[in-house]
Amino acid sequence: MYQKNALRRVRTFLAEKARWIRTIRRRVLGRKCADRPGDLHTRVTFRAAVDAVLPNTPELEAEIGADHVPGGNDVGLAEFVAIYVDHRFQLGLPRTRRNVELVKPVANVLDAAALKLIARGNNRDEPSDEWPVKLFDGTDVSPARIADVAGPFARLSPKDRLRAINVLDEIEAQVTLRNGRFVEFDGGLVGQLVVGFAELIYYSEWQGYPDVTRMPFGQDHANDPTTVQGWRQTGFPGFSNGYPCLRGYLGTETGPLGSGDVWTTIDDRGDAPVSLLEAPGRFRENEYDTDDYEEPYPEGGD
Amino acid sequence: MVADSYDVVVVGAGGDGPVAAWKLAEAGLSVLIIEAGPFHGNEKWPNPHTEPGAEASSDVEDLSGELLDEQFSTREFEMVNRLLFGPADDERGFWMRKFPGDGAILQCAGVGGTTLHYTGCHPRAYPAAIDEQDHWPIEYADLLPYYREVEELCDVQPAPVTAKEELFFRGAAAAGWEFIDEMNVTRPGYRPQPNAIRQPDDRLHVDGDYDGDFTYPDVTGHTLGLGDITGSPHPRGAPFEEKAKRASNVSFVPAAMRTGNVTIRPNAFVVDVTTETHLGDRPTATGVTFRDTWSGTTTEVGAEVVVLAAGAIETPRLWMNADLPKNEWVGRGLTIHFGDNVMGLWKADELEATLGKPTIDQHEGENIAARFDYPGLGMLQTVGTTPGIGAILGFGASASGFSFQNDTEDAPWDTMGRLAGTELKRILSNYRRMIQVLVVSDDRPMKRNGVSVQKGAEDEHGPIPLVNYAPSEADRRRRDELAEIATEILREAGASHVHRSDSPPTALHLHSTMRMGKVLDQACEAYAVDRLFVADHSALANGVGGPNPTNTGQALAARTAEKIVTRYF
Repeated sequence: MYQKNALRRVRTFLAEKARWIRTIRRRVLGRKCADRPGDLHTRVTFRAAVDAVLPNTPELEAEIGADHVPGGNDVGLAEFVAIYVDHRFQLGLPRTRRNVELVKPVANVLDAAALKLIARGNNRDEPSDEWPVKLFDGTDVSPARIADVAGPFARLSPKDRLRAINVLDEIEAQVTLRNGRFVEFDGGLVGQLVVGFAELIYYSEWQGYPDVTRMPFGQDHANDPTTVQGWRQTGFPGFSNGYPCLRGYLGTETGPLGSGDVWTTIDDRGDAPVSLLEAPGRFRENEYDTDDYEEPYPEGGD
Repeated sequence: MVADSYDVVVVGAGGDGPVAAWKLAEAGLSVLIIEAGPFHGNEKWPNPHTEPGAEASSDVEDLSGELLDEQFSTREFEMVNRLLFGPADDERGFWMRKFPGDGAILQCAGVGGTTLHYTGCHPRAYPAAIDEQDHWPIEYADLLPYYREVEELCDVQPAPVTAKEELFFRGAAAAGWEFIDEMNVTRPGYRPQPNAIRQPDDRLHVDGDYDGDFTYPDVTGHTLGLGDITGSPHPRGAPFEEKAKRASNVSFVPAAMRTGNVTIRPNAFVVDVTTETHLGDRPTATGVTFRDTWSGTTTEVGAEVVVLAAGAIETPRLWMNADLPKNEWVGRGLTIHFGDNVMGLWKADELEATLGKPTIDQHEGENIAARFDYPGLGMLQTVGTTPGIGAILGFGASASGFSFQNDTEDAPWDTMGRLAGTELKRILSNYRRMIQVLVVSDDRPMKRNGVSVQKGAEDEHGPIPLVNYAPSEADRRRRDELAEIATEILREAGASHVHRSDSPPTALHLHSTMRMGKVLDQACEAYAVDRLFVADHSALANGVGGPNPTNTGQALAARTAEKIVTRYF
């Protein structure tokens, strides 16, 4: 049984690696899309990442409602994440030196992580063309073309894609150089980019801009909570100038921090209950003594 | 116009530089502040992100609340990208740094610096962090008069309580912690944030019937609409100096400009410190060279004294790139308050019983208004965030992978790690029934942690800062204990689910890379270069115990300015 699994693992890995190598030429020389950074391989990879992080979730309909079904790829999130990475993380100087695109290397790193996951046999599902092809349902990109350029990351199941991102988390190095300089590196940064930034953008006001393929700068925003999917799915009511939600000021009736009527009591253990009071006060300019200070966790000298 | 020379040139108009400039100008000295980012809310730059505008501003009448209203939209995605450390030009990205670990550095560029997105939190250091931890060459008592001066100018006041703070205080009390009403904290307990934010109009009480606009002059002070992280123009319609959040652009910058002795030059990145060295003597600072971030032209300006206030990353970077004398502690000893995020989620009926409504509504109130202090460990604070920032801080970034890979059976929290997929969407659907607690640990200065530069890894301003950081075992244990306390407080407050991020080393607070006592003397003048002072958080000898460092950085900058006047003028 073990042998059979090991053989299957090696076979899967070699097949994926071979596919990946075959696509290198296309990816390196691949035609750049006119209106977006990267090439089709990059787009497939970013859509695969977004599909894993913010998927379409029909299973949530019965639980919390139909509003919670659509995911990031229903609103063009992957394409914008690529635009965002390209715009905000610039290597080189625009206007004087060519900007080096980061989106392609990010996509390639995700593929490398996927291959490593497969080599370890830690993928739970067999890689398949079906996953990336499904990501382009309803678009004018042909399934054959998607299958042709999709890398190993996009061919993993959504959960395995997250496992592949986690492989990057494990890449850590800490070195003290001979001149005493300490250097550390953490591969998890790529994961923070495709997971963290995707979440930031998706749940922010981004989808409410008239042109979601541009940075928000200079664009109007209707601040209409019904038009932003991430807001509908969180219940965020949009930005507001203010709210009448003041409950009072924390203090005691005998202390300096607040005064006036008690709105509610927070802590009635002591002689002077801690309450929310009507009016604000000031902090006490107290005498202090640090002689009793004890270090809870002394440094071990590192 | 920028003149050829000044009594003092201050590099950086962030949280601390304008404090030093204000004190120096009050003493009658001519001061030039050079700032890498834009100047928002200034009539000289009506479109600060699309055109270069004027060269400099020295008239307080240039400041415009109306422009600030227009430029600070409070939309989180737009404003985070506008304010984070990068050039004014919309077409350009962030200025590159090598981040610590798999975390990030969250600093701002622009007049006001990182106080543009700080949440107004202005507590003092823990006295024990200065008097007992063996890092500082001066005593806590030395800072007290300067704390008072800063607190008065910034209107530091106890923060108001809304639903999220009430819930946290109830949890802290139920967990057995004591209430604190003091400025100088020596024991663990809970208290309102001392915030540099003007308090809200009392008509905004939840029991009132206010249905007017939340704009000036209908209301004054904070309007209890979230926006402190995104620049905060509230109350809209107010004159520049009547804005509720007293970021340094609103508090110290106008005070400095009003003296008539201060010129501010934005969009100018200082790339060199010029010195003169007489035979056998130490170098003496004589001025700086800056590069215009729009045109790329460079300008040299002379000074009797140079003050570096570019922050804990850029100040040591500038020192190293300016080829100033080597000192083994320049750039070393970085502390970042190695932090974490613990999220509590509630069920609607639980909230109804405690708060009288089925939601917490973290988008209401000030961003950060309740805190828990623990000298020796650090602090906790509640955070209300808009959903995008909340998602990345609470669920999008972790040092321990995805939650489905972490076994939390024996842990106090229910889940830990990054969230993605169905699980993420399910949890975020509870946004209005959720509180985030920010864990801020008292990490200690280690020589290995800090900023270095490497020839070849460069941008238009020379070698970029390479920031390396790894917490010590004791730092981790302090953070773990605080995360456990946060979890207990949230559970006592009725949370039905607690999630711990195990955040990567995200640097919100940055200090101690040019430490007093190591690189600087007790007046914060460099040991190795005469007439070169540091007045920013890099001069702090440690992380001040964990409390938000702005107040201490500003108090020390005020003290340094007085020392400069006494020593050289």
